[in-house]
Amino acid sequence: MAGAQTKAHPSPKQYVQIAVLLAVLTAVEVALYYIEEAGVSEIVVYPTLIILAILKFVIVVAFYMHTRYEKGIISRFFTVGFVGALMLYTVVLGTFGVLSAIGG
Amino acid sequence: MSDVAHEEHVHESTGVETRKLAMWVFLSSEFMFFGALITNYLLFKGRVGYTAPYPAEIFDIPFTSVSSFVLLMSSLTMVLADHAIHRDDQRSTRTWLIATALLGMVFLAGQAYEFTTFVVDEGMKISTNPAASAFFTLTGFHGTHVLVGVIMLLTLVGISFRKGRLSTATGLNLENVALYWHFVDIIWIVIFTVVYLIK
Repeated sequence: MAGAQTKAHPSPKQYVQIAVLLAVLTAVEVALYYIEEAGVSEIVVYPTLIILAILKFVIVVAFYMHTRYEKGIISRFFTVGFVGALMLYTVVLGTFGVLSAIGG
Repeated sequence: MSDVAHEEHVHESTGVETRKLAMWVFLSSEFMFFGALITNYLLFKGRVGYTAPYPAEIFDIPFTSVSSFVLLMSSLTMVLADHAIHRDDQRSTRTWLIATALLGMVFLAGQAYEFTTFVVDEGMKISTNPAASAFFTLTGFHGTHVLVGVIMLLTLVGISFRKGRLSTATGLNLENVALYWHFVDIIWIVIFTVVYLIK
């Protein structure tokens, strides 16, 4: 039997610190929602919201799902699914957006 | 960093245990599933000319923010359960699993309350307009995933009580349940931003 020793994972204290960071990022997202309601341009707010969501996504995948500490094959499988879906549905949204613009 | 390193007993040529790899492949395929539902909502949310209200008009952002916070914190308790079992701390493992299941149930109760408010108080049913249909389908399927996760967590707790301990070697594997749970969380991160916060 081959044993594969993976890298050391974070400690419970570090997991809690990561959770605090995620909570703060969520609070910032909600604050941005109200800032946009107060009249700040969506050109500023929406990209920031997307960047924050990506940041939270990556933090959970890297630290809680441990891809940062695991074998590369796992990350590759996961990335292929994510990027594949992202590309496919971006094309779908783009196509329908273009079609409605032509129709409108 | 902790001194806890995860020892994998691997027989496979990939170097990753088959059950774990299968879970990752399954989760990877789930991106297609949720991607379709999110895309569906984005396509229909702006279609005008149907009966009001539209979902974006009646969202309760403070309430959903609390729900999102609850689900995020359940990821913390889940990873602490995962950490505990790798130290063979069965008591802590059980405690964190129960905490995760409870947080999951709180999230589901919040979703049931939200749906009830939308249907009964606001008059937005699944057939009211295409955006409502897409919204209920997307969040409903996500809620179903959370429910399946809660059932798996409670099953692990039951096994733990019945056998006195959980094993990572055989049976329903805590690590794979944890992966599933975190996946449900990251999908909600996307839904919360794309569906609720971006108008």
